[in-house]
Parts: sequence; C-alpha cells; structure tokens
Amino acid sequence: MNRPGSPPLPRRLSASAVPGLAPVPGHSAVRSLVLDNGLKIIVWSDHSIPSVALHNWVRVGSRNEVAGLTGLAHFFEHMMFNGTARHGAGEFDRLMEAQGGSNNAFTSDDVTVYQDWFPRGALDLVFELEADRIQGLSLDPELIESERGVVYSERLLRVDDNNQGYLSEQVQSQAFIAHPYRFPTIGLPADIRGWKAKHLQAFYRTYYAPNNQTMVLVGDVSHEEAFALARRYLGRLPRQPDPPPVRVREPDQLGERRVMVRRPAQMALLQYAYKAPAATSALGPALNLLLTALVEGNASRLQRLLVEQRMVAQDVAADWHQGFDPSLCWFWFTLAEGVDPHTARDLVDAELAGIAAGVLTDADLERARNLNAAAFWKQLATIDGKAHLLGEYEVLRGGWRNLFQAPERHAAVTRQEIGAAARLLLNPSRRTVGMLLPDAPGAERTP
Amino acid sequence: MKSPVARLIELNPKGFAVPGHERTVLGNGMTLVVVPRRDVPLVAFHMLLRGGALGDAIGRAGVASLAAGLMDKGAGERDAAAFAQSVEGAGGSFAASAGPECISVSGQFLARDQALMLELLADAVMAPRFAAGEFARQRQRHIGQIRALKDSDPSELLSQYGRALLFGSHPYGQPAGGSEDSLQAVTLKDVVDYHRAQIGADRAVLVVAGDIDPAWLKTAVERCFGQWRAAAEPLPQLAPTLKLRHRRVLLVDAPGSAQSYFWLGATGVDRSYRPRAALDLVNSLFGGRFTSLLNSELRIRTGLSYGAGSGFTRGRVAGEFAIRSFTETRHTVRAIDLALRTLSRLKREGITQAMLDSARSYVVGQYPMNLETAADWAAQLAELELYGLTPHYIEGYGPALRSAGLTDARTVIDTAFPAGRQLALVVIGDASQVGERLERYGRVQQIALASGSFS
Repeated sequence: MNRPGSPPLPRRLSASAVPGLAPVPGHSAVRSLVLDNGLKIIVWSDHSIPSVALHNWVRVGSRNEVAGLTGLAHFFEHMMFNGTARHGAGEFDRLMEAQGGSNNAFTSDDVTVYQDWFPRGALDLVFELEADRIQGLSLDPELIESERGVVYSERLLRVDDNNQGYLSEQVQSQAFIAHPYRFPTIGLPADIRGWKAKHLQAFYRTYYAPNNQTMVLVGDVSHEEAFALARRYLGRLPRQPDPPPVRVREPDQLGERRVMVRRPAQMALLQYAYKAPAATSALGPALNLLLTALVEGNASRLQRLLVEQRMVAQDVAADWHQGFDPSLCWFWFTLAEGVDPHTARDLVDAELAGIAAGVLTDADLERARNLNAAAFWKQLATIDGKAHLLGEYEVLRGGWRNLFQAPERHAAVTRQEIGAAARLLLNPSRRTVGMLLPDAPGAERTP
Repeated sequence: MKSPVARLIELNPKGFAVPGHERTVLGNGMTLVVVPRRDVPLVAFHMLLRGGALGDAIGRAGVASLAAGLMDKGAGERDAAAFAQSVEGAGGSFAASAGPECISVSGQFLARDQALMLELLADAVMAPRFAAGEFARQRQRHIGQIRALKDSDPSELLSQYGRALLFGSHPYGQPAGGSEDSLQAVTLKDVVDYHRAQIGADRAVLVVAGDIDPAWLKTAVERCFGQWRAAAEPLPQLAPTLKLRHRRVLLVDAPGSAQSYFWLGATGVDRSYRPRAALDLVNSLFGGRFTSLLNSELRIRTGLSYGAGSGFTRGRVAGEFAIRSFTETRHTVRAIDLALRTLSRLKREGITQAMLDSARSYVVGQYPMNLETAADWAAQLAELELYGLTPHYIEGYGPALRSAGLTDARTVIDTAFPAGRQLALVVIGDASQVGERLERYGRVQQIALASGSFS
C-alpha cells in the first residue's frame, strides 16, 4: 500500500492505484463447522475489543408466506423474545442485559436474523438462551395478543404514517403477480389482526430446524471455544425435514406497470422497481457498481442531475434487493416541492437510457469502485459489520469465503460489464412505477 | 451472591482505555489530536468548530447550518461539482452539519488519500465559496428536508417542537437546522458574515485517526491550516437554562395521522454533571434499554407501542431530559398517562440493588462497541476537547460505574429526573381525534404540522 512520504505532499499520492486489493485481513481467522444436525457455525476470532457479535440466520422470511397470513415471519421474530418453557416471558432480555448483552433481530423477504452483542463473559449464557428459544418457545396466547399491538404500531409507523413506506408497499404488490415477494414483510393490517397460535406453532415446527439455520460469531472468542459451546448447547437439537421449497417462479414481466396514490403530502414521490436478478447472480459486482455510480454521493449521475443541476429532487436512493429468487432493484425519488412526478420521470428516463446506451464514463467507474471499496472496509471495521457480511455471503451469496474475494471481484469489473448490467436492469418494460401526488390539505387520505 | 459486575470489569479493562494519541495546539490556536490505528486502510477525521447555532441571529435559525452545508458546495479552487468529484472519486466521504454549540465536519478516506483529505477539509472550512446559486439551492434543500420528514417520519421532528416549547427564546430552544420560516429569512450575507465572525482556527479542534504516520500528519496539518485566521468575533455566551414551573402542552395537528407521537421533556443536567455514571445507569433502567421501565410498560406489558425510551442531552448548560414514544391514536391518553405514571414511580420508589447491578453490567458490557473504530474515537476525542474534558472522562468512567451505589442513584433521581409539573408535552397527531383529551395535561397550544415554524 502507498504510504505518505515526506511532508511537502499536499496533493493526493496516487490517482490510479485500485484500492482494496490488499488482501482482506482476517481470512485465516475464520473457520466453520457443521454439526451433525446440519446447523452451521462460522467463527471469526478477533480480539480487538472484549466483545462478541452473534448473528443467527434463519432461512425464512415473508417469501415463505401465503395470502391471509402475511407478516407471520416478522411476527414470529417478535415472539422469539417472549418466553420458553424454561425461561418465562421477558427473561431472555433480563438475563442477557444483566450480563452486559443487548440484542435485536430483523426479518426480510428472505431471512430472519437474530443478533446478540455481548461481553465475552456472557458467551455461555447467550448460547444457552439461543438454544433454548430454538427448541422450547411457549407461544403464550396472552403474549400473542399484546405483541399483536406492538407489531400493529410498528406497521403504522413504517407504512400508514409514512408516505415513502406506503407507496413502496403499493409498488411492491404490483411488481409481482405470483411470487410471495409481493407481500409486505410487516404484514397487511387484517392479517396482523388475524393470525392464531396454531399458525405460529406450525411455522415454528417447519422453519426453526437446526438444518435451516446458520450461526455467525465474530469477536473475542476462539474457534475451539465457540465450537465446543455450539456442540454442547445446539448439538442435541434434532435434525428435521427440510422446509418446503418456494416453488413459485414469477413470470416474465412484459410491460411497465403503474401505481398512482393520492395522499396528504407536501412533496410528491416517485419510485421505480425494476426486476432484478437473485443475490447469487454473476452480475452482482457490476450491478453494485452501477448503482453506486447512479445514486451514491453528490457526484453520482442521478444526484448530480436531479438534485444539483435541475433541482427537481430533494433526495435519491436505490437498493438492489438481493434474495434467494430474482427480485427488485428500487429507486426512490423524493421530489422537490411543486415538482410533478411525470416531469421527474421524463428526466430520469432520459438519463437512464443514456446510461444503458453506454455513457458511463471512466471517471464514473473509478468513483464507484473507490466508494465501494471504502464502504467495504468501513463495514469490516466492526465486529458487527464482519458478522453481518459473513452471514450475508454464507446464506445469500454462495458461501462466506466469497466475502474475501469481494474486493478483487469488484476491481475486475469493466465498463462493458457495467453497460451490460445496465441494459439488463434498466428496461422500462420490466419495471413498476409508483407516484404519490399531494392531496389538498384536509382531504381524506387513502385508507 | 457475588455480583457478576466486578468480575466483568476486571476482565475488561481495555474497554475503557483511551488509545495512544498526541495532542498539539498550533500557533493559531487550532487543536490537533492524532490517533494512529492500523486495522483497516482508512483514515477518519472529525473537526468541531465551537459556536455552531449559538451564532445564529434571532429569527434567523439555520444560518450556521447553511454555512456548514455550503462548505463542500464549492471551496478553494473547486466548484461544488469538482469538490464532490474529488471526495467521491477517491472513495471518500465528507459531511458537515451544525448543532446547538458547534459545527461538526467529519469524513473518512482511504489511507493513501490523506493528503487530499486534509486539502479538501482546509478548503472547506477556510475558503468556502458561498456562491449565490449554491446558497439558494442549499436553502431550498434544507427546507425540503423538513417537509419530507413531515410526510414520511414526523416523529423525527418531536425534539425540535419540544425544545422550542421547553426552552423558548434560549438558544437551546432554536432549531439548529432552522425551521421552514426561519430558513426563508436567511440571506447569503448572513452566511458570509457568520463565517467571518464565528469560524476560525481558535474555534477548531481536529482529530485524525486511523492508518497514519503521526509525524507526517502533524507537518501536513501545519502546512494546510497554519495560515488560518481566528474568528472575528467572540464566542457567544450561553445563559443557563431554566426549569419549567408549570406544564406546557403543544399539539401538532397532523390530520389523518394513524398514531400519536409524543415527547415529554424537561430541563435536565449539563456536561459537567458529576454523578454521570449513576445518571447513565438510572437512565438505562428507566428508558435506555429494552427491559427499561418505560419500554416494559408501553411495549412489553401493554402492547401499546412499538417502543418507548428516554435520554439526556447534556450541553455546556443543561439540555433536555426527554421521553419519547407513540401509539395508535385511540390509545393516546392511555399511553401518555402510563409514561407519566412510570416516571412518578421512578421518583417515588427509586431502584433496587439488583436493578443497579444489572444496569452496571449492561453499560459496561455495551461500552466497548460504541468506541470500536477509528471514526468512533475521532468523534469521541473531539467531543472531549469541545467540552474541555480530558481522557480521564473515559478512563475514569469504568471505576465510576463500579462505585456508583444506591445513594448516588437516589441523588440522580432527585436532581436530574423531573417532577411531573416541570414537563413539557408535545403530541404530533390528529387534533380532531385527540385535541380535547389532551386538556387534562394543561392548557393546549395547537399548531399545524404544515406550519413553517416549530412554535
């Protein structure tokens, strides 16, 4: 790596070296083990702080749901904190906090991930608690009722009182005609009110099998120590039949779909959801760099055009949802006051057509590469970031070892490959366009 | 039973150790702190400029915020586009914002670009262009950000309404980012004047942390910042904040809102508050962790809300203590009553030794993860400088947590946590559904969410 030399060097030292090609430190500090029951443990031993991050990835999300029971995976995630035969309601958190740990969890279309962050002294307790809730959850009817209120409040916060969230839910439901990716992970209101204990029990039996989970530990713990704890606490869980696969294949989309919503609002919104490949796609690095070139930072193509030059947008963001099945690549535009979403759409479309035709410059590409490399290193600077990346690569991107190839794979992407990714992705016939138009103040909002 | 806490602290002494660093004061008064650290090939910087929104004129809240926002919109030899391309082309990040007492400029670059990083930072703080077109654009964007929050995350604005209600005309009552109305009133001349009067080497502390060579870096900083002049006018003074004598209630009408988002605040304590370890322990128990009293009542026991919490903002003078939560509109009064009762219960019953021990483990156990990266340390050490604190503030924190007892907890509960009558209440919700029912808390002032001001 280049290092700064003597003082009179106020300019940058090397304009062309590709960053991130230094070997990723820690490769040799990662080891994995598969227990007899199919549960996989991945351990990255890192003693920089006296703490451990444990992430347990369960291969279940709203992708595994059916109409009438949407939101069940997310609701189940909440119930995983509400008591077992051995530890009554609330004890999971009380015991963990009393030994210095905290925890959280998230549910997506594809996975449910449980996260614990704790001092190494709490290792034994955390393994005991995690093993306990994987096998002995109570699902108390009273707690189901109070948790229903909690999740309903979460839905109102994220969707009903949130114009961006509301429009996204509408767009997502239009983007798919068959695949369960059309369901909102938080769940539809009537479904949140409707599920019963029996639905939760069936869900638990089916998906919380050891062979459907991957546990990642990063931090102040040795491999031997972590593997011994895993064998002791998790080794006895019986292997179960694999959960039923999701067989639905979304048919090709052959024309643009549109959603128009009117709500009380000060700013109009515009959203695009393009059909995009699954997480394991070979186009992954090119797509990542394309999105960075388009929306990351003030010099990105869409920010520069829409926010800086034409002032039609307040903000621009994008995200490629990387799941087990082909899903969506989102663009969210918060428009400047008084801007008609149709005007913004025409501007965006002209720019994206140019990108697809190959007008991304070398400077755009270098910028995207460098931003991408810096983001990678930033995430590797924390035990939690390392745990998240290991889990994501293992569960969604073909194996944790691929994490250590990421800098090289991104550095090797050519301008031609980004052009190919752009042509594949930015096809108007394979997108859903959502618009939210401000209603007159005081008008009834869309129910 | 032996408390598990003492054991944890003995096992984890490095959790409270400050990394090796060097502190220098340049000839022009700028403070430089250098923290070498080589885990990843990145360098982080964090610069704080004393003053911040304290320098905003009455009715012109947002001047400091616009001055900060314009720093990277053209500076030195680069216009806005060239500046952005220089930062991002190198994979760097650069952000500047204004708070009530300082402007904060921070970023991170790949280690090989640290010379460029210093050059860009020096240009941004010493030689911003303040071009008229960029000013107009930035002002419109700041206004737009407030409006976008009103549409998609109104609860993020609770503390702006709350501070205005609680602190009135005191600088802590002014929104550091401005309001829609006050931003409209700000002119380019205000921003240029602010920069001349309130920004300079004597106001600056710069911390650089990461993959660096300290000797090279110090020389490079001298070279880039050595000519920086002092701010032309003195640092604005800050009067003490006062406690409320009577409860105040503000209803922010959001027609059709499905939930009520509420904030209960009172004047709290300042940065020099001595029993701060006990304060953190008690707040952790009251509203600072998942099993806290507030979250247990409003979420776990009743299912009224997705979450409830509390916290102290401690500035040079006493900032606010605030409780925040939200609930479906029809449960508004029930949830606010429950939050108030939970506070009364804390005041009346205090906490037990078992609770204190649990909080101690929790705060000690979580602490190392808040100060894990070079960027975390850059921000932390800059903040110590801002408030005139030494590294002992961190190194002494572990022992202070260990020795805090029930007597200290009681002191904190009596002196820092407010009585019910000293509270200000803000509710963002549908006035047609909740308006009358809020009168039980005091005389209700009402404002529309769409209004351009926070008071």
